[in-house]
Amino acid sequence: MKVIVREDGGPLVSVRVVFRAGSAMDPAGREGAAWLAGQMLAHGGTRRRSYQQILDFLFPRGAAVDVSVDKEMTCFRMDCHADHAEQMADLLAEMLCDPGWREEDFLRLREDAVHFLEADLRGENDEELGREALYGLVFEGHPYGHPCAGRVSALRGMGLEDVRAFATAEYSRENVWIACGGAQAGCVAQRLREAMAALPAKARNNGETPSAARLRNHRMIFVEKPAEGVAVSIGFPIEVVRGHEDYPALLTAVSALGQHRSSGGRLFESLRQRRGLNYGDYAYIEYFPAPMFLLEPEPNHARRRQIFELWIRPVAPEHAHFAVRLALAEVERLVEEGLTEEEFEAARSFLSRHFVLLEEGLSARLGHEIDGLYYGTGLQSDHLRERLPVLTREEVRRAAERHLRPQAMAFAFAGQGMEDLRRRIVDEAPSPVEYNAPKPESILREDERVSRRLLGAREAETRVVPAQEMFE
Amino acid sequence: MAQREAFPWLYEQHDFENGLRLVTVPLPWRGVASVYIVVHAGSRNEVEPGRSGFAHFFEHMMFRGTRAFPPERYERALQRMGAASNAYTDDDRTVYHTTLAAEDLDALLGMEADRFQNLEYSEEDFRTEALAVLGEYWKDSAEPLNRLFEVLRDTAFDVHPYKHTTMGFLRDIERMPEMYDYSLEFFDRYYRPENTTILICGDVIPETARAMVERHWGGWKRGRWRLEMPQEPPQRGLREARIEWETHTLPYVAVAQKAPAYDDGSAECAALDLISALSFSHGSELYRRLVIEEQWADDLWANTVDHVDPYLFTVVARVKQPARTGDVRRAIEEELERIAAEPPGEERLEKVKSHLRYRFVLGMDRSEAVAAALSPFLGLRRTPATVNRLFATMEAVTPDQVAEAARAWFGPEKRTVVTLEEKAG
Repeated sequence: MKVIVREDGGPLVSVRVVFRAGSAMDPAGREGAAWLAGQMLAHGGTRRRSYQQILDFLFPRGAAVDVSVDKEMTCFRMDCHADHAEQMADLLAEMLCDPGWREEDFLRLREDAVHFLEADLRGENDEELGREALYGLVFEGHPYGHPCAGRVSALRGMGLEDVRAFATAEYSRENVWIACGGAQAGCVAQRLREAMAALPAKARNNGETPSAARLRNHRMIFVEKPAEGVAVSIGFPIEVVRGHEDYPALLTAVSALGQHRSSGGRLFESLRQRRGLNYGDYAYIEYFPAPMFLLEPEPNHARRRQIFELWIRPVAPEHAHFAVRLALAEVERLVEEGLTEEEFEAARSFLSRHFVLLEEGLSARLGHEIDGLYYGTGLQSDHLRERLPVLTREEVRRAAERHLRPQAMAFAFAGQGMEDLRRRIVDEAPSPVEYNAPKPESILREDERVSRRLLGAREAETRVVPAQEMFE
Repeated sequence: MAQREAFPWLYEQHDFENGLRLVTVPLPWRGVASVYIVVHAGSRNEVEPGRSGFAHFFEHMMFRGTRAFPPERYERALQRMGAASNAYTDDDRTVYHTTLAAEDLDALLGMEADRFQNLEYSEEDFRTEALAVLGEYWKDSAEPLNRLFEVLRDTAFDVHPYKHTTMGFLRDIERMPEMYDYSLEFFDRYYRPENTTILICGDVIPETARAMVERHWGGWKRGRWRLEMPQEPPQRGLREARIEWETHTLPYVAVAQKAPAYDDGSAECAALDLISALSFSHGSELYRRLVIEEQWADDLWANTVDHVDPYLFTVVARVKQPARTGDVRRAIEEELERIAAEPPGEERLEKVKSHLRYRFVLGMDRSEAVAAALSPFLGLRRTPATVNRLFATMEAVTPDQVAEAARAWFGPEKRTVVTLEEKAG
């Protein structure tokens, strides 16, 4: 157990309780156990109070208890006003350490999880569908190979006892970190620390996650569903996580390629700004939860295994092939040429100064401190401010060359007409583009080159899957 | 908590000679400032036929640069600052927001003043950006809720621009590349000092901020445009629409009532805000029944989304058991009618007031969050004072006034119901 306390005189209280356990620890055939365990604690009753009684308690206080379940972490969050610090600390302690395990809560939350996969993911968010399909492809046969919410068939087959068994095995004194901030943070932390004494000493998982198998060739999944545009995600596993010696260099390279929701990255400039192919294009070396809804990364989704990820927002079906070719050309250029001096300086300056902003809020700060503990690097802002000033442009180029392998990647497409797109990609068909306005000669020349670029996909490593069969 | 102001921070408000307003909120957190530039023009201003979605499109064009700061230079400067910057458009406002180190505030205000006064882009850039907007429509089109609200507004309104969403009708978006000249006209009409409020929250001294804004924005010239808003005729009967969704989805039900324009001194408006939490939030009786006990729905919420002109009080549920879609609709309608017939208990109403006050304060744990919470109110009234007035009005609302507001606005003749269900077969 580790406890972080950041007391201040403000009117708010914020708590994060993180167990180093998540969907990567789901037993085989019980994919979704971690998800449901988190949901049962945060959105179910305790032994003393029904969930309805908890809602009635929270309501006049405007307070909330919520949970996020990721691959390696389950984070419970509580935010309330200082007026209710003690009462809310008691409630949170009760919810986490003395859950009710009621069948009616379980059935409700299990059905919600199934609907999350069947309706939300397959049906309502093509971009997240594409991303999850990509993770499934990269991590096939690996503990990260299923969505954090599990699989539909496993969820349907799961009983309350499976979920309870997961919580008993994985939520332990050894793997819990408690972070409390704001008014009366010390008292709140003390109350939680006392309650956590009732947890088992050790967790079942040993804190190890195998590496993902290295990709030998391109691998592609085409998820067929009715849609106006085609969502595209591309990626491959990397060894670099925070704390790795190449992390600052690779982060700098990838920030210049496509910093999340920034208009300054190469991908954005090339695909959207110059050509209007879509709404935006970004690159990552760390998992970014729900990027379509968030401008900043939510902490406590730390993972031992990460992928390099390109996120190409929906493109017109007739431009999907070209957009992928163009994005890969940008990755290749990065690997071959590195950054210009100006790009290097700008990206380094951005990273040196940006993380301070992300860590400003009470809750965010606690979350980032926990991630710093997890990776052993301390706060990301401090870590980067220490490492970036001594970074060189050559180190960035070498890191990109060492870790980015555009010749063997996983591709996930979600949209309509997938068989046709697959055919065109496998056949290396030309993919010319037409614009609604005159373009400079330099762009037309580049287009000509890019539209004939060979991807090298082997038919045997591509497959079309109807959306309704995903995550089954 | 009842005695404290809902917006707990001190602020300074200053009007410049050209009509520009600056609101500065010094906050205790060190080193960071958040700048929200609120232009009082949104999709509400798209009064001319065929122009739906234009305010949002124009927000994109604001990133296409000036002579002094072409887009690459503007982006590079933000990047060097480590700034987090973006923009959004809503019905009544367009907001450009940046959070950055307080020491870079002057440089940012200079860059922003430049693009608000000297924006310049080619027709080619304009046409290319129109495609990016189409891309944004595609990404949104996968979400049933976007379609639900598109149809709801189109059904509920006849002539007011609230008839369309901020994104606009697809047919208008597809024609955007041809509207270059109109874009120049749009900039000239609305991007004017008397139509803009700058909000700065964070590690900032009001006098210093005032001097910076004066230096960079003092020369901005007033405009002359006067918006003529079409008057929406009263609704005289129940309206309904049904959407068939191509992919697998759970059904959605939206029940919307015509609602009055935002007025921070109106007990009726405050009562409608209270009803949204009283009858349709996680703490409501209906939520308990539909979501926790019967489990016909997995979510239920209502919003009044305060607007400059009369808009909608909307209740939305996602139905878990498709066969119960009709029952969920009926349950919502019955609740709307019940609240008109039966004033809530005093104690219950107090809990709702408490809930709304605490909810408002809870998220504000950093500069960016304070600015984000305040900017919609600035979009409505150009002053933080409206927040405390609204909560004071709410505090005084009685159970009978809640029922009166419901009787005034929740009649079936003012109702629009839209359902979205998976296409059969």
